[in-house]
Amino acid sequence: MKLLTHNMLTSHVKGVTKGYPLLIKATEVKVNEVEFNPQFVSRMIPKLEWSALIHAAEGLGYLQDLPSTLVSNYENDEDFLRKVHRVLLEVEVIEGTLQCPESGREFPISRGVPNMLLNEDES
Amino acid sequence: MMRDEGGSVRFYCTAGAGMEAFLLDEVKRKLNATEVEHIPGRVFFCCHSNLHDMMQLKSAERLFLLLRKAPPTSLPTNPGKAASVIQQRIVGNPDVWSGALSTWSSLQAELNGSGGRGQKRKREEEEESLNRPTFRVSCRCSGTIARSYNSQNLNRIIGMAINRQLGWKADLRDPTVNVYLSDDHCVVGIPLLRQPLASRTYLKHTGLRSTIAWAMASLCNLQEASVVLDPMCGVGTILLEAVQECPNGVFIGMDSDEVQLHKAVENVQAAGQEERILLIQTSCTAMPLPAASVDAVVCDVPFGRKFSCSDDMTTALPHILAEMERVLREGGILVLLLSLQLSALIKKLIKSDTLDLQSHAAGCDEDAHTSETDAGSRETGKLKFAFNSLILQSKHRVSLGSTDALIHTYTKRHTTCDAQL
Repeated sequence: MKLLTHNMLTSHVKGVTKGYPLLIKATEVKVNEVEFNPQFVSRMIPKLEWSALIHAAEGLGYLQDLPSTLVSNYENDEDFLRKVHRVLLEVEVIEGTLQCPESGREFPISRGVPNMLLNEDES
Repeated sequence: MMRDEGGSVRFYCTAGAGMEAFLLDEVKRKLNATEVEHIPGRVFFCCHSNLHDMMQLKSAERLFLLLRKAPPTSLPTNPGKAASVIQQRIVGNPDVWSGALSTWSSLQAELNGSGGRGQKRKREEEEESLNRPTFRVSCRCSGTIARSYNSQNLNRIIGMAINRQLGWKADLRDPTVNVYLSDDHCVVGIPLLRQPLASRTYLKHTGLRSTIAWAMASLCNLQEASVVLDPMCGVGTILLEAVQECPNGVFIGMDSDEVQLHKAVENVQAAGQEERILLIQTSCTAMPLPAASVDAVVCDVPFGRKFSCSDDMTTALPHILAEMERVLREGGILVLLLSLQLSALIKKLIKSDTLDLQSHAAGCDEDAHTSETDAGSRETGKLKFAFNSLILQSKHRVSLGSTDALIHTYTKRHTTCDAQL
């Protein structure tokens, strides 16, 4: 699971109102080299929940001194875009869990794919 | 001659039923094709593009060099007489054929990569084949002709006619002359590729027909950095077609079935699209995404089997549709592939669907199917799903082979100020 995926995922357990962001507990993390595309990264940044990304990157040890609040004029800052590229697309959680911040419900991540299936009484 | 003064060549592609409109649009857009016209199942065009560009067509089945498009011809039942009719009316001018054969040979050379010393022998062989051409015939016919002749007999008769008119030698070798005869049309062409355009080298596991998956992706109005969701992605066929159209998008695939999802993982890896396609195991009735978070939802809604152990699709569809509407942003696009029965059901669920919309697909006769189910009205009465925000844009009727299906496209309306107050 990439942090781009994590940035979009929210807990959908019945009754939960603040199910975002999910807490990552990783037991296996991999970093894959992915071709850097600065246009794509700068187009994605406005769509991200920046603080959730920073929090997740920090938790996995890949913060690389990224700022806790988004700076402006990042479009031409290649160094910055490369760091965002790394946390967004290269860092991958292979095994672990995602935890709902409100209900505490844990969702397993197995072979890189998060399993967000709910039991019948949870949905 | 097939080449006009500007050097463009006449081609045609075959297309599945209902795919002609997509193919017309695609050849104009991708190849800048001119003189684009179509008959059911075939789209004709002129273009200057090289073969490599033409191989990128996604909505076509096969690609042909056009030899002749003639008015329909009725054949006498006497095979000898039929051969002379074919010779005059269908084979026609020998210059056209020799011109087409040299175009075909040069396109084959382009395909195999010409140049270099090792190619010399090959070129000699080609010249040889231009001097004494061989061919074989593959004929498909329907209507009156099909009642008097079977394909095998016609192959033989057409072979005889070509041999007499052109001196070409019938053989089991390339090129294959494809002849299509019906009550309305007569089309003769030579296939340019051994593999159909519709078979995708990048797919390891196949799901939905790739041409239809592509057509659905093309309706999503994909832009750079678009977020696209397929909530029942199966092996990922639609997303893999979509990512080729829009390499800088984000594509989310969801499926509740682990086996399907792992096949999707393998497909995504085989296509080298791990960076853009994100897979999540989840149910489409409870999607772990915030409201208004995706730009397009695209889905082949499964039918003909149970949706889960307790629900069938007619019961589940309103719940799934409600989730799709929730995660879609305002102005976003929803593209659904539906069976005729589910199409009729959704027509009852979505109010705007009942508007008298001019249908894109020929023969898209909705009313013939509305009586198939009354489950829709029962559901709507009970659950009060309104789906007022979804506005129907188009319906395309396409063939899935054994059955037909409809591609419905909706946009999510921008909420007005009074609705927010």
